[in-house]
Amino acid sequence: MGTYVLEVVIENKPTARDPEGETILRDLMHRNGFEMVRNVRTGKYLRIEVEAGSSEEAREIVFRMCNDLRIFNPVIHACSIKEAGRK
Amino acid sequence: MKIAVIQFPGSNCDLDTVYVLRHVINVDAELVWHREFKADAYDAVVLPGGFSYGDALRAGVIAAYSPAMKHVKEMAREGKPVLGICNGFQILVEAGLLPGALLRNVTLTFICKWVYLKLENDRTAFTWKGRRGQVLKMPIAHNEGCYFNDEKGLRELHDNGQVVFRYSNARGEVVPEANPNGSLDNIAGICNLEGNVLGLMPHPERASEPILSGNGSHDGRIIFESMVEFLRGEAVATAR
Amino acid sequence: MPLLGNIEVDLTEEEVEKVRKILGREPNPVEAGMIDVMWSEHCSYKSSRPVLRILPKEGGRVVVGPGYDAGVVDVGGGYVAVFKIESHNHPSAIDPYNGAATGIGGIIRDILCMGARPIALLDPLRFGSLRSPHSRWLLKYVVKGIGDYGNCTGIPTVAGEVEFDESFERNCLVNVACVGLARRGELVLARADKPGDLVVLVGGATGRDGIHGVTFASRTLTGKSEEERPAVQVGDPFTKKLIIEATLEAVRTGAVHGLKDLGGGGLTCASSEMSYKGGKGMELEISNVHLREPDLTPFEIMLSESQERMLFIVDPKGLDKVAAVMDKYGLPWRVIGKVIEKEEIIVKFRGEVVARLPTKILADPPVIYREAGRPRYLDELLNIEVPPMPKDLSATLMKLLSSENIASKEWIYQQYDHEVGVRSVLKCGEGDAAVMRILGEDRGIALSSDCNSRHCYLDPYGGGAGAVAEACRNIASVGAEPIAIVDCLNFGNPEKPEVFWQFKEVVRGIADMCNALNVPCVGGNVSFYNEDEVTGRAVKPSPVVVALGVIEPLSRMVTMPFKRQGDEILMIGETLREMGGTEYYYVIHGVEGGKPPSVNFEREKRSLRFILEAARKGLLKAAHDCSKGGLAVALALMSVKSGFGVEAELSCVAAEDMRLDELLFSETHSRFIISADSSHLEDIFQIARKLEVPLSRIGVVCEDGMFTLKFRGEPVISCGVEDMTSAWRSTLPNAMRGG
Repeated sequence: MGTYVLEVVIENKPTARDPEGETILRDLMHRNGFEMVRNVRTGKYLRIEVEAGSSEEAREIVFRMCNDLRIFNPVIHACSIKEAGRK
Repeated sequence: MKIAVIQFPGSNCDLDTVYVLRHVINVDAELVWHREFKADAYDAVVLPGGFSYGDALRAGVIAAYSPAMKHVKEMAREGKPVLGICNGFQILVEAGLLPGALLRNVTLTFICKWVYLKLENDRTAFTWKGRRGQVLKMPIAHNEGCYFNDEKGLRELHDNGQVVFRYSNARGEVVPEANPNGSLDNIAGICNLEGNVLGLMPHPERASEPILSGNGSHDGRIIFESMVEFLRGEAVATAR
Repeated sequence: MPLLGNIEVDLTEEEVEKVRKILGREPNPVEAGMIDVMWSEHCSYKSSRPVLRILPKEGGRVVVGPGYDAGVVDVGGGYVAVFKIESHNHPSAIDPYNGAATGIGGIIRDILCMGARPIALLDPLRFGSLRSPHSRWLLKYVVKGIGDYGNCTGIPTVAGEVEFDESFERNCLVNVACVGLARRGELVLARADKPGDLVVLVGGATGRDGIHGVTFASRTLTGKSEEERPAVQVGDPFTKKLIIEATLEAVRTGAVHGLKDLGGGGLTCASSEMSYKGGKGMELEISNVHLREPDLTPFEIMLSESQERMLFIVDPKGLDKVAAVMDKYGLPWRVIGKVIEKEEIIVKFRGEVVARLPTKILADPPVIYREAGRPRYLDELLNIEVPPMPKDLSATLMKLLSSENIASKEWIYQQYDHEVGVRSVLKCGEGDAAVMRILGEDRGIALSSDCNSRHCYLDPYGGGAGAVAEACRNIASVGAEPIAIVDCLNFGNPEKPEVFWQFKEVVRGIADMCNALNVPCVGGNVSFYNEDEVTGRAVKPSPVVVALGVIEPLSRMVTMPFKRQGDEILMIGETLREMGGTEYYYVIHGVEGGKPPSVNFEREKRSLRFILEAARKGLLKAAHDCSKGGLAVALALMSVKSGFGVEAELSCVAAEDMRLDELLFSETHSRFIISADSSHLEDIFQIARKLEVPLSRIGVVCEDGMFTLKFRGEPVISCGVEDMTSAWRSTLPNAMRGG
């Protein structure tokens, strides 16, 4: 058993619009000298520490939790889970 | 005397503010598109409430880079009155004209309701017509109104008399139950060292007419009238 | 699905044949796609138009009736109010945040394209029970979606309602209404009637949104698969705010001859409807449309439902002025065509004609006459066993106050900025209707939305009429005169005869009450297919009525809370033994059947006239109409909102023999509770006698914090006002804590 750290990022699906990202790109970055930035997507970031027997188990727990607790809505969101080591 | 109300893309309370200045306070006020704003044409400037740039990334952060802010900073330096209401306060903080930060309400929801404020500093350009300790009734309506500063910053604000309004109950007691959004020390509004730049989260333009307040009060007028008479030279602003 | 123009279309074989007959040829795929979307129920109202024809659309103050994008009424002082209602039920059921947000976006556009500034929003909502985690999830995100969108665009959400019922569990109802204000001469109509005028597309880029996997006989249209493309679009209130300001500023240049928003049916719908109404046509070059993805086909461009787009019909001499406004706000714009004399839509792509159709086939599709059949459940439910009377009626009242349909909705409206615009004079929670002042004038507009779906379930005709009556009573309670309504009719699958019967009966009820009260229905929306596909269970029929009234001068305004100790409390109207569909039956006894409240047009008319005259003469200190929970709950709410107690005697209130619980909780129509200064009693009774309205003194306002209702001197309900207040206020926050 150990404490695993996983990073969950919830964004709008790539084919969906992200008006906040578009506004940041257009009105903040491009207007203030950073025209070389091509795209910005915004999202929600969760850093989750979970106790599990292995990193696979930890990942599976987090995946199940994100679905069961509707941490993301599959109708509109894409959810990615990245392992960030052990605590 | 001419007062500018700057309109950013997404400002919502700009027309409300112009309406109150013109028809309730009876002063010459003009709505100015942010790109066209010039400091020397006006005696005072108001940054109104709303959702400039949709609050993208953080409320006020994109508007802080508007070319208008260069002129606002110039006016602040010259000692002219600069008032930031709600989103305007957020923009002043992001632009460095006022210290601290405004975070998401601890309730994590938008809050729209009337609150009581205790006036802590009656010597700014916007509050000298009030009386220290006076209780004012005004509405708030915001997502990101939780005032934050580090320990040192907070201490300086208090020491310099820069805390102008604090959330209180109807009796003027500054208590946790009266704090709607988690602001440190119940801070609802602050000013700069000189007392000519004021930022507050509540909306004085919504509290300037008895018909809107529910109890016949019109406490918001104090802020606008103080500013107008300050311009007429009838007061000296100092935060000490 | 049958084939038309080589693609699958969602039409019947009969309809497909009609197309061929009218056109005189086979359409090509682009034309077939355009016809398919314009003949859909959503765009054409083919099932409902024949039934809706009976609704009275004209009246003294109506300026423009349905058929245009919004109902327009004269509110005095040279001003007109523009109002409309829409539904976004199906999208909200799967993505409540964006579904509700884009619903708000859509209704705002509808008002904006009349050239009016949107000044208020209303949100009538319906969900499954609060006990269901799924319904709580929907409520949380729908409210957030409405709040974020409305707040960001600076339009206050000032009124609304929520009904909780199991029939909405899998099919929530999210209706949204918007009101706009304009000076009478400033209105812009949704028509293109001057050949040579330019067609300009303004706003967001066009993408593949809303095009659902239509298949050609030989190849798939869309580039990406369905799962990757979200079914619900993402709201963009910042762009909408820019569009609002830009549109109003462009209209002021005088160069804008017509306006229409692009909603359902996209560019096809906007271009054909504007042309048809103007009696002209349009020639479009759609390769000029600004695109989000560069490889969109003509079919996709014509059918895309991307958000935040408006069509402007512009005088060529004024194009540079309009362009300057769009550039100021950073809104993309393109000239995509021109208005032509011939009544057809010609679509060109890079110079080649890809579609050419008469406007009539697009904008005036044939209607469908559906079968109606009275459902069997009605007889079963009307005759039920009368439940026993509870021993402790005080506990009964407390339980009702904390029940989901009666409990305070402050948790919801505190998330809405209901004050922006400095027009909100009577705010959420203070009265039966919201009142918005007209700046610079001593007059205001009152707004209320109402519907009792349980009444409608038991008696569609009575429920429809009742919704109109209740909405008008709410307007009158604040001292305003009701002048028009719009309605949003939410039903199940209209292909089922029982559902279509409910629809017809409801509309008949609405029409009759509108005629009786002289309050025309100037617009509306129909949402069908609100039904669970698996169980076949339809929502309870929900005809949401939004009423608009005018109050002048503003000093006539009356609010709900009691004002002073010693004020007299009076009741207008008689109470009948009508327990069917009451909150009391459902919450306390778990029963939905029985005889629902009857409709009496004379009674309703007279009681409204009474309230208006008494308000006009300044005789009312507080007023509230009796609805859910009956007279006991009505009195309790006036008490809770003021903090004052009540001492009342109810023996003179019953019009027929009934039990105590029936007297307290019956939901008979046409009843109000008012409070007045004792010196005004004589005048008030005089008005009641003149109008032949039953009026009784029932009690006094007290300062002792006790709420006591007696019958023949015996207390039947005795509660502390503080206890009632906390029961009423805590239900929603407790349920929603932690999501």
